[in-house]
Amino acid sequence: MSENSLQSDLVYALACTAAYGGQMPSRIYFAARGSGLYRSDDHGESWISMYASLDVSGPLPTTSVVLTPDCAAVEQGPLTGYEIFAGVPGGVLHSADEGESWVAAILDTPPPSVSALAISPNFVEDGVLLAASTEDGIFRSASRGSHWARWNFGLLDLSVFCLAISPDFAQDETLFAGVETGVFRSTNGGRAWREIDLPVGYEPVVSLALSPRYPQDRSIWVGTEAQGLLFSADDGASWTRLGQTEITDPVNSILVSPAYPELADILVLSENALWLSRDGGSVWNKVEPALEGMTAVLAPDGLHQGALLLVGSMDGDVIPLVLDK
Amino acid sequence: MASSSKKWQRPRVVFQPEVHRGLLRGIDYLVDAIRPTLGPMPRIVLYDRTIGNTGRIPELLDDGGTIARRIIEIQGRDADVGAMLMRQVLWTLREEVGDGTATAAVLFRDVYAEGVRYLASGGNAMRLRTYLEQALPGILDELAGMALRVEGKEQLGRLASAISLDPEMGTLLGEIFDIIGEYGRLEIRKGRTRVYEREYVEGMYWEGGLLSRAQITDQARQRTELQNAAVLMTDLDIEDPRELIPVIAACVQQGIEDLAIIARKLSDVVVGMLIMNRERGQIKIHAVGIKTPGVSTTDQRAALMDMAVLTGGRPLFRAAGDSLRDVKAEDLGRARRVWADKSNFGIIGGKGDPRELRTHIAHLRNLFTTISAGDERQDLQERIGKLMGGSATLYVGGITETELDYNKEQAGRAAEAMRGAMRDGVLPGGGAALLAVRRSLLAHAAESDEPEERAAYRILASAMQAPTRALLENTGFEPGEVFALLENADRGTGFDVIKGQITNMEESGILDITTVVLAAVRSAVKSAAMALTTDVVVHRAQAPESMNT
Repeated sequence: MSENSLQSDLVYALACTAAYGGQMPSRIYFAARGSGLYRSDDHGESWISMYASLDVSGPLPTTSVVLTPDCAAVEQGPLTGYEIFAGVPGGVLHSADEGESWVAAILDTPPPSVSALAISPNFVEDGVLLAASTEDGIFRSASRGSHWARWNFGLLDLSVFCLAISPDFAQDETLFAGVETGVFRSTNGGRAWREIDLPVGYEPVVSLALSPRYPQDRSIWVGTEAQGLLFSADDGASWTRLGQTEITDPVNSILVSPAYPELADILVLSENALWLSRDGGSVWNKVEPALEGMTAVLAPDGLHQGALLLVGSMDGDVIPLVLDK
Repeated sequence: MASSSKKWQRPRVVFQPEVHRGLLRGIDYLVDAIRPTLGPMPRIVLYDRTIGNTGRIPELLDDGGTIARRIIEIQGRDADVGAMLMRQVLWTLREEVGDGTATAAVLFRDVYAEGVRYLASGGNAMRLRTYLEQALPGILDELAGMALRVEGKEQLGRLASAISLDPEMGTLLGEIFDIIGEYGRLEIRKGRTRVYEREYVEGMYWEGGLLSRAQITDQARQRTELQNAAVLMTDLDIEDPRELIPVIAACVQQGIEDLAIIARKLSDVVVGMLIMNRERGQIKIHAVGIKTPGVSTTDQRAALMDMAVLTGGRPLFRAAGDSLRDVKAEDLGRARRVWADKSNFGIIGGKGDPRELRTHIAHLRNLFTTISAGDERQDLQERIGKLMGGSATLYVGGITETELDYNKEQAGRAAEAMRGAMRDGVLPGGGAALLAVRRSLLAHAAESDEPEERAAYRILASAMQAPTRALLENTGFEPGEVFALLENADRGTGFDVIKGQITNMEESGILDITTVVLAAVRSAVKSAAMALTTDVVVHRAQAPESMNT
């Protein structure tokens, strides 16, 4: 398979490696779609299936994808040595050879539906991965994905839609889970959860983002299905709604500038619009061109003017856009 | 009774000053027995159990409440009254908060001894008592205002190590409570090795397993598992298979293949029908009978209510006149998994409304705060813990049976104290929080024109030094020198007796549990104030035969 628009299959998630290749840096992109996991080596121009080596008769819906964070930028390509984890119904697939072969880890019975994956920024040392599921709460692996166990202490709602992990996870072991009825936080690496107070009526929570300086500024963004975007600068103690008049559709994805708060750029993906704020959420502008049925977004190089965006759609397309403002 | 008590057979009425002197002797006696256990380097009190029980090994004690409990009589009739008075205070405190008895003991003695001295110089006992009691809320408020939250496995681990005086146990308890939370279900068992181990169990489980062993489907693990199951919850007895027809019909209608029937009893005929249906039935429903947990009706009702919230079903109660005739699909709870073995069963991934679950837990927590102690409080704690989603087991290590018993007891005590710390926070330890209160007490004394009021506040200010003084003496430091160093120190500063230096107690992880300190102060001051107004003691000829005599 090597076409851009394969079939009517939703793009659930996008991911990419670090840049490589010296003067003309490049990246490898991945799209988790209803029909499987795909890879692009040409900035999203063309995509090939990663599941060729799997003996599956039909499409294998892939709802999430994460890469090991240790595939750091290298001067010379091609990039090797990174590992891929993909969430599929009932388990997590793992490949350490760029999709040449896959190992499946079965999560539990009855088979859970994986909604999101999160990988420890300190994966090299701790080997921690987390998988959220829509009915069974959160699974945790501390063995580089080979063994998984459910860790739902204190998680009073097991319908988990999204995860966000602290950039300082190695020290603070903090991560957040967005669920049908609110947000939960873990401060022990995902082994126990405590609820964060959200204003009543702002659930379900379908997307989450943490500041790249979260350990210092305690800033959290929460995307809801019906009440737009919420922001907290005090670790969830109090919340402010951002873009109240503009962002009214379900917030499927939130991207924060890697240079936040110096560059207070925030990009929000709702179903029919991409909204960009350059001032931390006071003023919002629609990113053009407006596309219908957007489901996932990736900003590999940040949110500066001229930066590339990859936008996934309901029908499996991955469209490259350039931020022109 | 021992032969010495025979001498007491003559009735006698004792007046002042013998009453104060006698009571003080008894109080001193008990405090001296308990005081060595105060602090991070406690000495052990050995309780001789050999009399009349040849061959029994002595008991090793380092807990003031238990030491007081073991002293059932001391020499001297007046002194015995004092000792028994203090014994009662300490044992009640231990029952209430699990710790703090040594602190309470030294505080009690100081308040009482200083009070007696003041009364000997002509003070009025009732007025003194009134002012002592009046000062108490202010002290407690000031202490509560100093409370710090304790969270994270490191902080919790340090605290647990300080309580249990066992770093290995403390580290594991810190991790466990970080995961299960203050209401979490923790079972403490004797391990099989010398090291400590822990185990976590996901989901909620109850006592009350399969109603018939014939329903075990996993012979290797001796249990049965259901997936995406419906859950019927009732305290009814089900005698006739026909009673289950509406339930089975509801399952068929919903396309449910697994059914857990939680009932007080299933007749053999019903169980037989369920097994036959599983093996050969045309209706493909795998149904298992599980015993309703709880012995009493109240326990069963509580467990069924919890399950109902968890699974989103409606429990059927005999007392409410419910029957299986009218069961509808929405009365059945749902769960991702239900497991049962011969003695327990568990529910994982209940499909109840998470909002209702939160409301239910909040209701139980409110109830919990209104109950001070006892089995009801314990039951509520367990119910909340179960609903929070899991449990832990700590296997204590040890070589000998005595060591295992001791470690298990220590772990249980530390666990109770940890729950208190997580609920109500911690205070700067080593007596530093009490020392911090002195300033306001002395200021109040200085402003007062009433002699008894001045005396009461001075007595209390002095007593607030007593725990630190005892701790310093226990560890070989000269209290006078240390108090001089601490005189102008910041609030929360104290003396680390292990390192032998002045330090910020919070930063050094030297912490006391707020609940325990508050209870110790409250109990010591109130009891000592009351004891100071005791003017006459009546010794009876015979011990009373019952509480009504």
